[in-house]
Amino acid sequence: MSGLLEVSGLARHYPVKRGVVLQKQVGTVRAVDGVSFDLARGETLALVGESGCGKSTTARLVMRLIEPSAGTIRFDGQDVTNVGGGALRTLRRRIQIVFQDPYASLNPRLTVGEAIAEPMAVHGIGDAASRRAKVEELLRLVGLAPFHAARYPHEFSGGQRQRIGIARALSVEPELVVCDEPVSALDVSIQAQVVNLMKDLQARLGLSYLFIAHDLAVVKHMADRVAVMYLGQIMEISDKRTLFADPRHPYTRALLAAIPHPDPSRRGRVTPLGGDVPSPMAVPPGCRFHTRCPFAQERCRQEIPALREIAPGHRTACHFAETLPDPGLDYSGGLTEAAARRLALYDAARRKSAA
Amino acid sequence: MSGVNSTAAAAATPVAPSVPRQPGTLKRLLREPVAAISLVLAVLLVLAAVLAPLLAPTDPFDNNLSTAMAVPGTPGLPLGADGQGRDMITRMLYGLRATLVMGAASVLLGGAAGALVGFAAAFYRRLDGLLMRVMDVLLSFPAILFGLAIAAIFGPGIPAVILALSIATVPLMARIVRGSALVVMRQDYIEAARATGMSDARLILRHVAPNCLSPMFVFATLRFGQVILLGSALSFLGLGAQPPVAELGAMAAEGRTFLFFAPHVAVLPCVLIFVVVLTFNLLGDALRDALDPRLRV
Repeated sequence: MSGLLEVSGLARHYPVKRGVVLQKQVGTVRAVDGVSFDLARGETLALVGESGCGKSTTARLVMRLIEPSAGTIRFDGQDVTNVGGGALRTLRRRIQIVFQDPYASLNPRLTVGEAIAEPMAVHGIGDAASRRAKVEELLRLVGLAPFHAARYPHEFSGGQRQRIGIARALSVEPELVVCDEPVSALDVSIQAQVVNLMKDLQARLGLSYLFIAHDLAVVKHMADRVAVMYLGQIMEISDKRTLFADPRHPYTRALLAAIPHPDPSRRGRVTPLGGDVPSPMAVPPGCRFHTRCPFAQERCRQEIPALREIAPGHRTACHFAETLPDPGLDYSGGLTEAAARRLALYDAARRKSAA
Repeated sequence: MSGVNSTAAAAATPVAPSVPRQPGTLKRLLREPVAAISLVLAVLLVLAAVLAPLLAPTDPFDNNLSTAMAVPGTPGLPLGADGQGRDMITRMLYGLRATLVMGAASVLLGGAAGALVGFAAAFYRRLDGLLMRVMDVLLSFPAILFGLAIAAIFGPGIPAVILALSIATVPLMARIVRGSALVVMRQDYIEAARATGMSDARLILRHVAPNCLSPMFVFATLRFGQVILLGSALSFLGLGAQPPVAELGAMAAEGRTFLFFAPHVAVLPCVLIFVVVLTFNLLGDALRDALDPRLRV
């Protein structure tokens, strides 16, 4: 596994200021507070967590769309944390992004062809004619037709627009594509198409995905590895199979258990998490999850648990990861029937397309 | 290819495009009756202003006291004559010329400068506070006051009016542009554009500005009407067009003196001002719609 992206200690703190003229800092929002992970070439790493946990901020930090307060980002072996100018332009070509909202992510004043060709024009790739040819090729690649290039975004459906967004991201042949909840704004039937398209493209073009999501069914389908975030930090990171079968962090368990389940006998055994996510302006001392953790003990309130390896490739930030009581819930099969059906459908569609 | 196509059920097998290209802006503009009429009227008004020396039956400064205040319909004077006996048609053609130049120049100059300030403030947030406070200061002076100051410095006349009204337009346009640019810049497509690594200039010109056009257009056309009226007010105060020069606002002001004996001297220029303002307002709205791809059928 050659590492494509290595992130260590990445943080983004926003000062909170009061006052109109003489501003003074009254606090700090710790949107992302020390995140480390790596991503291999051709791999999909999913970032999951509740809204506001810093997933999207992490993605934008990795893309250098916002500047980190601390930490380093290494892309393809090179430290890109502070690069600017030409090196940043090169980085921009190698990392692209697909957004959540297909309605906001395309400029309504540009035709689809112009939108897809623009990144190539910015990077001086090819001439007008070769770019046009590439646009047609990309449109076919994402399952649209070449004549769609002359149309405007508002003439397309959400799923089609998301394909256009993917085509635009792919136009400069990036190595890493950051997907910021790429399917959560789409209908379930369209989600399957887009997710499968993304998997196909990954296989064909050798792409790496940093895949941000909160839909665990999609994550289970897409990801190779999963990182669970809470309040700006990674709580648990592991390969997909282990994480779904044997989650060792109470928060991961809570997330998995929160998936609606049709079996009524489970009802008594699952305790939903109480309370709200604490404000990132006032992160709890010790383990940041202790305010909501059903297993919290004195140690959790005082000592920050390190993200430690408990099995090869499986790291978790819990003092009691090894001794947590087995909740006796079958997480792997714990997906709802509907979600399981969807997964089966995804797979059926993929098999059909492979044939 | 098969892998993608079969999953692409939404795109089905695309049928050949029925409408391969969008009709042009002008064509779409002409499809709307109101838009078409306003366009034709605007062209006629501009032509009349440009060709005033050729169309005018007499010299605009040719006064003849024997025909003073002649009513419309007098032989040789279809629209009558003003207090100095000058042919109203001639005066109005030249007046239209001065008025259009004044209105268009102030809106274009002031609007362009204001748009620049607005985009700069929205884009470079560090400049925002400073720029907008300067705009607030400008905003707190009435246009008439600028007119007074500038007339005092450079002497009264149409150029002074244009300068004064341009300056008065800058903060208004700056505020409007800044507001809509801030909204546009929160959109994902701006972040996508940033992620491609394009220059700030390209980002503003290609992604931010085109999506701010609608409010800019509406404001510019509204302002055009206001500016013409303000210009007339300045002329009335003696700061704008100086007496022998024909300008619609000045003519209306002059005609006020004999409103009861010869109402046409004041009313006719006012009617023309009304037509000009209405025409350009309607045209502005129509153009805004025609330029918006989302409204294309």
